[in-house]
Amino acid sequence: MDASVAMYVAQGIHGLAYGMILFLVASGLTLIFGMMGVLNLAHAAFFMLSAYFGYQMLAWTGSFWLALLVAPVLTAVFGILMERFLLKKVHAFGHMGELILTVGVSLIVLDGVKAVWGTESLPLKMPPILEGLVQIGGMQYPIYRLFIIAMALMLLAILSLVLYKTRLGMVVRAAVSDAEMVNALGINVPLVFMCVFGVGTWMAGVAGVAIAPILTVFPGLADQMGMDAFVVVVVGGFGSLGGAFLVSIIGGLISSYGVQFLSQYAAVLMFVFMAVALAIKPMGLFGERE
Amino acid sequence: MNKKTKSLLWIAGALFLLIYPRLFGIYYANIVVTFAVYALFASSLNLLLGFTGLLSFGHAMYFGTGAYGTALALTHIPGLPLIPAVLAGLLASLVLALCIAPLVVRVSGNAFAMMHMAFGQLMFVLALKLRDVTGGEDGIGGFDIPPFSIPGVISLDMTDPILFYYFAMTVIIGSLWLLWFFTKTPFGQIMVAVRDNAKRVDYLGYRVPHTKAVVYVIAGCFAGVAGSIYALFQNLVAAYDAYGILTSFVPVMMTMVGGVGQFFGPIYGAAIFGLIDEFTTRFTDRVELVLGLVLVLVIMYAPYGFAGFITKMRLRWAARKAA
Repeated sequence: MDASVAMYVAQGIHGLAYGMILFLVASGLTLIFGMMGVLNLAHAAFFMLSAYFGYQMLAWTGSFWLALLVAPVLTAVFGILMERFLLKKVHAFGHMGELILTVGVSLIVLDGVKAVWGTESLPLKMPPILEGLVQIGGMQYPIYRLFIIAMALMLLAILSLVLYKTRLGMVVRAAVSDAEMVNALGINVPLVFMCVFGVGTWMAGVAGVAIAPILTVFPGLADQMGMDAFVVVVVGGFGSLGGAFLVSIIGGLISSYGVQFLSQYAAVLMFVFMAVALAIKPMGLFGERE
Repeated sequence: MNKKTKSLLWIAGALFLLIYPRLFGIYYANIVVTFAVYALFASSLNLLLGFTGLLSFGHAMYFGTGAYGTALALTHIPGLPLIPAVLAGLLASLVLALCIAPLVVRVSGNAFAMMHMAFGQLMFVLALKLRDVTGGEDGIGGFDIPPFSIPGVISLDMTDPILFYYFAMTVIIGSLWLLWFFTKTPFGQIMVAVRDNAKRVDYLGYRVPHTKAVVYVIAGCFAGVAGSIYALFQNLVAAYDAYGILTSFVPVMMTMVGGVGQFFGPIYGAAIFGLIDEFTTRFTDRVELVLGLVLVLVIMYAPYGFAGFITKMRLRWAARKAA
């Protein structure tokens, strides 16, 4: 196999892995938006918070797997607390208040981690099993990125099974389209909302710990990811899971090949992509509502 | 309060601002200039957020473009006088607003906010990457500040902080007055009607997107003036300060804390933020943490901000007097 094909494949794997991480973050964002009509601007901050929790767990216990398991759950607890005690209280003031409240929470989290962990980037070591390269069909692939892709696909499979094949998923989908009606049918909609919020932040948390070994843990972690995730949600269509998946992969590939060919302007490509997509379909690719 | 005491208060306020730098010196004069720049910036945002009901998370675009416009004009055009330099910043923001307005006036709510966040980031990344033009992270600095001169009459050196204070305050208060005047025009009333019930305004025969576009462009221009004064004041424009995401959030927070939808809300908000900044930096580096806490508390317990609080107190006072 010649070198340029190998390069294309390697960049493709990088892009897919980043796209998967992006999907984990964006899916939570888009689910929460679909349910409550609130774009959670603190979502990326939770993503980063989880990476810090993961670092701390690894420092205490020495186990990457424990960190991957516990840190996202801790993050989800924070997310649920925010939903219960803050977001719900300002619901009466309308979406504007909720949106701005999430900005406030995001500022607190972003500055809070600087106060606790400092501003330098902290390494989060991947377990030895996932280090190195694997040989498949005469090509070499980094194991850790394949692991990320597999894990994200698994989560996607579980999520879609629960959403589309179970009674709980039916309730959630019904609540997305008409919360008031579902509430009137005797289902505890606020509880459903809280669970969805928890699951959404949990997925962002998983993404945060998963990406930490590649990028290390630092306060700027949320910036890039937050922006890309918002682009994904906007382009995929607010509230659409399938749209988020498709656009995440496109976005991942764009940024990975963009770095290869147009390194100077790679950071702009996502936004150019968004501008083009929105010019063609103003509601996003799969969006039905504003 | 009757008209006479009101105008007396205004005159007293103006006199106070006039003698203020003589009383407190350069350091406190500079604090007031910073406050005034942000007050104008936040007031221009309030035109969108409070009066038209459009939340923008990318208003820094116009602030930054105004700042870069002025800085670039002063760097590349030798001998450019002061007023045209400010107008260059305004013009840059005007052009940008005219380009973006057709894309955004048909959406509102979350989509409007998010599209602005994206466009704002686009500008930020461009300012970082187009190093040859903008100087990237280091920005453009050290350009000459021209004197304020009317040929044959007067020439004031703008590098003197006290004289600059008078110039900046005149421009900013003039701009604020224009904004205030704008909200009182019949067009300003339509703007408020769009916020309250866009559909009805549409049925009444007014064109909603066109109305939004006009308001949008005006808000952009005044943010540009604020940015331009900021560039002259700092003698430095860099990507993070001009286009950073925090620069977009700050006027939103000021407007919320001061009181959304009231003309003086953002001005109170800018003053409160100035005070918080001035005092917290003496004790801790974690200014953003404090700002976040203040924001959350205000949204939770005083959703109409400081201006709403004042109105409530005044109503209570009036009720007690009547009883």
